Amino acid sequence: MKLQRDVYIAGVGETVFGKSKKDFDALGREAAYQALKNSNIDRPEIVQSAYVGNAQNGIVTGQTIFKDLGFVGKIPIINVESACSSGGMAVHLAIKDVACGLTEASIGVGAENLTLRRETGTAAMPAMNDIETMHGAVMTGKYSMRATRYLYETGATIEDLALVTVKNRKHATNNPHAWFKGKISVEEVVNSRMIAYPLTLHQCCPVADGAGAVVVCSKDMVNKLGIEKPIKVAGTVVTSGPYHNRPRDITGDDITEMTSILLYEESGIGPEDVDIVELHDAFTIAELLYYECMHFCKKGEGLKFLRDGQSTYGGKCVFSARGGMLSCGHPIGATGAAQVAANAKQLRGECKGYQVEPIPKVAMSHVTGGGLSGTEHAACTMHMIVADW
Amino acid sequence: MGDPKERKDGGKELDITFFHRDLLEVPEDGTLPYLKGYRCIKCGQLDFPKMDLCPNCWGEEFESVALSRKGKLYSYADIYVGQPGMKTPYIIGYIDLPENIRIFSMLEGTVGSFRCDDDVELTVEPIRLNKDGSPIISYKFKKASA
Repeated sequence: MKLQRDVYIAGVGETVFGKSKKDFDALGREAAYQALKNSNIDRPEIVQSAYVGNAQNGIVTGQTIFKDLGFVGKIPIINVESACSSGGMAVHLAIKDVACGLTEASIGVGAENLTLRRETGTAAMPAMNDIETMHGAVMTGKYSMRATRYLYETGATIEDLALVTVKNRKHATNNPHAWFKGKISVEEVVNSRMIAYPLTLHQCCPVADGAGAVVVCSKDMVNKLGIEKPIKVAGTVVTSGPYHNRPRDITGDDITEMTSILLYEESGIGPEDVDIVELHDAFTIAELLYYECMHFCKKGEGLKFLRDGQSTYGGKCVFSARGGMLSCGHPIGATGAAQVAANAKQLRGECKGYQVEPIPKVAMSHVTGGGLSGTEHAACTMHMIVADW
Repeated sequence: MGDPKERKDGGKELDITFFHRDLLEVPEDGTLPYLKGYRCIKCGQLDFPKMDLCPNCWGEEFESVALSRKGKLYSYADIYVGQPGMKTPYIIGYIDLPENIRIFSMLEGTVGSFRCDDDVELTVEPIRLNKDGSPIISYKFKKASA
């Protein structure tokens, strides 16, 4: 999708991620209200459309969130679901409304409470009407098969995979929104409980609750609102996962590679110019593979990229500056929106204690979504945003 | 192995015990079971599982093809935390068949015993329990006999 006119992020909001007694609507409202205030918006009349990503909390989730904010009865509120991509997709659709000139200001929200309803001690799985789910598929298993093949082909070890958790938890150390953070050793990661070989507990993103929100608007509206640090949307891409039940290389990821290439084309920004990335590090193996799929390094060199420190402070690009899903946890429908919010704060230099230095100018985010037999993922959503002041 | 949605005397609908006649053929004459591929009559594309339409050309007619009983284990996962209601550990894997088809399947065997590129063969086993607590029979793969 080529944006028809310039779109800017005016303001963002994110809740603390973790186990919460607040349901999805209170979390979503908290993030949305933060984003509205952060955009200098002081009444319900400015925003003209709202998109709300949620995966598992039921029906009319968006209207439930926005009722107390006085939005219902005034604007269209559209609920968006594509599993883990839901929140990213909601932001994408808000951008599209502004880009097409349908609105001057729109909001994208992702909100989810998983822990209030979930049966503990079980794994997240695709829909039960899927043939693979019928035969025991769980999301951990899909990533575990990728890891198993990756270790088999490259000779990498579980200790190597654990380095991703060690790095991301370190990045999260002073992030007040992150859940699991600070120092953890490779041994602690490797010796934690086995979930799906070779993925141990600390290599899997925690089941969490949270929300993120992003207000986007036109150039005129950014000026009207008096936004000092407007962030330009350089690109936003949503794809659906290619289907084929044929042998394919699962140490790559066709949909992530395809979406990255589209985003680079749309934004005119290549991986060499990206300063920070939030990606779908639901499991350690994913981050390693995605360095390669996103062309930050050559195929087969993901582990070297990590070991050489290229994905942390002082490297080519800081991956998971907020700590990623491995630290924040992954409230399914929330993460995509929260990633954009966290990236915007990094560009504005507002991340005291976990600010990437020098302050980044270009930030990319990536969420895949859903298990569907015959695809690597059912959906993928990516955003490229840049400082514009 | 009853039909999907077989009925009890009292009229109560029972859950399935066999998954699924479009996927797996277990001949009553005792010959070896096989998975059923579907070749589009219009464009020739071979698919497993059966699709409503051929995604390549929207062909509506298919010829059933018996797929190879042996293949190579591309990758696998020993699952220690599984789906609600499923006994752990269990094993899942991707099996590549000579027909250029990849099958997602549970594996029959013990955790820690499989390796990538192992030769595996089709077997027919329970995969899970249905809503009535009875086993559902389907395809699985196990290490191929020499």
